[in-house]
Amino acid sequence: MRLGDVYFALLGAVTLACGFADLMVTLSGEYCSWWIVEVPGDMFRGGWGGLIVLFAGLFYLSGARNLSEIHQLSKVMMGSVLIWLIAGCDIFARITESIPGGDEGWFNSMEGFLGGCAPPYFPAMLLLPFSLVVIYYIHKVE
Amino acid sequence: MKVLLMGHPNVGKSVVFNRFTGVDVITSNYPGTTVEYSEGSMRAEGEEVTVIDVPGTFSLEPKDKAEEVAVEMLEKEKDAVVISVVDASKIERGLYLTLEIIERGYPVVLALNMWDMAKHKGLNIDVNRLSEILGIPVVPTTAVSGEGINKLASVLKSARPVEVETISGRAGGRA
Amino acid sequence: MSLTVDERWDLIDRISRETVTVGEYKETLTDVIGEITIKPMTGIPVVIASLYLFWSIFGSFAGFFTDGFFVKFFDQYWLPWWQLHFPDTWEWLYYIVVGDPLADNCLEAFGMLTSGLFVAIGVVLPAIFIFYLMLTLLEDVGYLPRLAVLIDTILHKIGLHGYAIVPTILSLGCNVPGVAATRILETRKERFVMMTLLAIFVPCGAQLGIMQQVIPETMGLVLLYLVIGYFVTGFVLSRIIPGKSPEILMDVPPYQKPLLRNVALKIWMRMREFFTSAIPFVLLGVLMVNVLYLAGFIQWLSSTLSPLFVYWFGVPEATVGPLIAAFLRKDLAVAQLSVIEMTWYQMVTAVVLVSIYFPCLATFIMLLREGWTELLGSLAVLIVVVTVYGGFVHLVGILAGVA
Repeated sequence: MRLGDVYFALLGAVTLACGFADLMVTLSGEYCSWWIVEVPGDMFRGGWGGLIVLFAGLFYLSGARNLSEIHQLSKVMMGSVLIWLIAGCDIFARITESIPGGDEGWFNSMEGFLGGCAPPYFPAMLLLPFSLVVIYYIHKVE
Repeated sequence: MKVLLMGHPNVGKSVVFNRFTGVDVITSNYPGTTVEYSEGSMRAEGEEVTVIDVPGTFSLEPKDKAEEVAVEMLEKEKDAVVISVVDASKIERGLYLTLEIIERGYPVVLALNMWDMAKHKGLNIDVNRLSEILGIPVVPTTAVSGEGINKLASVLKSARPVEVETISGRAGGRA
Repeated sequence: MSLTVDERWDLIDRISRETVTVGEYKETLTDVIGEITIKPMTGIPVVIASLYLFWSIFGSFAGFFTDGFFVKFFDQYWLPWWQLHFPDTWEWLYYIVVGDPLADNCLEAFGMLTSGLFVAIGVVLPAIFIFYLMLTLLEDVGYLPRLAVLIDTILHKIGLHGYAIVPTILSLGCNVPGVAATRILETRKERFVMMTLLAIFVPCGAQLGIMQQVIPETMGLVLLYLVIGYFVTGFVLSRIIPGKSPEILMDVPPYQKPLLRNVALKIWMRMREFFTSAIPFVLLGVLMVNVLYLAGFIQWLSSTLSPLFVYWFGVPEATVGPLIAAFLRKDLAVAQLSVIEMTWYQMVTAVVLVSIYFPCLATFIMLLREGWTELLGSLAVLIVVVTVYGGFVHLVGILAGVA
């Protein structure tokens, strides 16, 4: 279980940093995008969402010690749930925004749709695959 | 025959009702979803039975409007059989209401609902002994999955009024 | 014979000693998660996250249908077709059914078949569908009682038990089941305070949907005003109304997987309700407003009430018209407001007014069922609140230099 502790401690630190970045960018009001990452800067996804990512980081950090203990694991799980929630909302928003065609017609073209779903992604979406690791530990306990 | 489903809020009376009658009443996972009664019918042992889903109540001294409806319902249906639905993991609290109903002279069947939860919590209830002491049919049920529901319907007819003194006599410990 | 309370507990004690044995209890992850979501330190982040989830999915889903498809359909195909094909033999009939012949969108036209259907089906239907779906999941999973425990301390300050959050949240879907849910509160006082707060300050799903569509930028401020009003009014009412607000012990049920059948059933019942009662009411509302305009009644009322509206509330006198429609449906009233020319702060004030003023007809009937005294009391509170709070919103605007 040692490995898990280290993994989630690291993930927690990264998540915390992402939350901070979201909040900072939102406060500064500047557009910020680098490689495949785009930090959201609006009050809703950046401010509110950033705060939740921050909470997720804190959950990870406080849970990443002695994962085989169920109370600890549940905190890590809660951290992952928050990430799933934010990322899920972001992905759902992307998809629903990319399907209608706007002024072009009823539906978007395939390229338009894929373009809408292509990177850059918000930090929470990038954290999503890494947060899934918790499922392995949940299975192990049950 | 008329059957009243009574018990504390959020013990799953409405779920039992839906299972019995196939009539769908709305259920939720918070206390107080049913604030008015609903009625449906089913066939049990070849007989037509009217089932009434009564709002949840903690005791027969009503404290809020939904509880008033419950007590009025009980007083109106003098010859009804009452199924006392109890959260098996909080059986003591449920027995209080059950005893109150028994004392008023109604034939009662005790449904120990959420049986799976109780087992999960490590609670062990000696159903046969409980039935013996109370002198009424006792059926463990898990209404959400339908477990025990048929059994519950089949014992309705064997419910008889009991005197609370006899119960007290049969229960062990100091009298 | 019957026992006394003590005798009964004593008997239960003896029975359970003989029949119940407590084995070893092994905590599962569900139990622990249940605990986490109820403790303030860890529970409050979860509340914030749930709100985010609710709002984000609500916006995306409703936006997808309304902005993505319905707006285009209604504005580019539906409206022009009716404007072109509806016989204009009788000008008044054309005005009632189709509305303004020059309008280029369905909000401005304001005819029964144009704006009426657009508001009901194009905007409100997707909004309340997704709202009810999420609300039902929240109910069936068992989150609401946990929310109630978390928020207990705050609600106690306004003389309500934490359980009051359940009717409040239900009211966000529709005020009618919200008012019904107040029956679980013990005293008449609590019920009265709760019902009044619901009827005045809690906007329903239909209204939230239309606000999201027509005033997305200022909606946050409108909601903030409503939340503040809810707490302030609750605080005042709980102090001036005689009676008690006793403590009730509430059971927190374990988390459960929602039953698909039950979820589907609830959505179905609520959607049926929408088609059979809400849509006719929206159409009726348009009809009524149009007839009253044609009869000159609204113009007369506007100029009569003009001083109150212009000087006290700080909104154009034309907002009197939407307030008439608000008797029937608040969503319709908001739609109607959105095409009146005014500053953004006037719009905020007007929408707040529409929300807090008179409950819609369905809620009104529900209040009536709780008793005449309750209804009259609620109305008295309402009149005072609308006047005072409406003026307050205007005052804040003046002080902030935006009104």
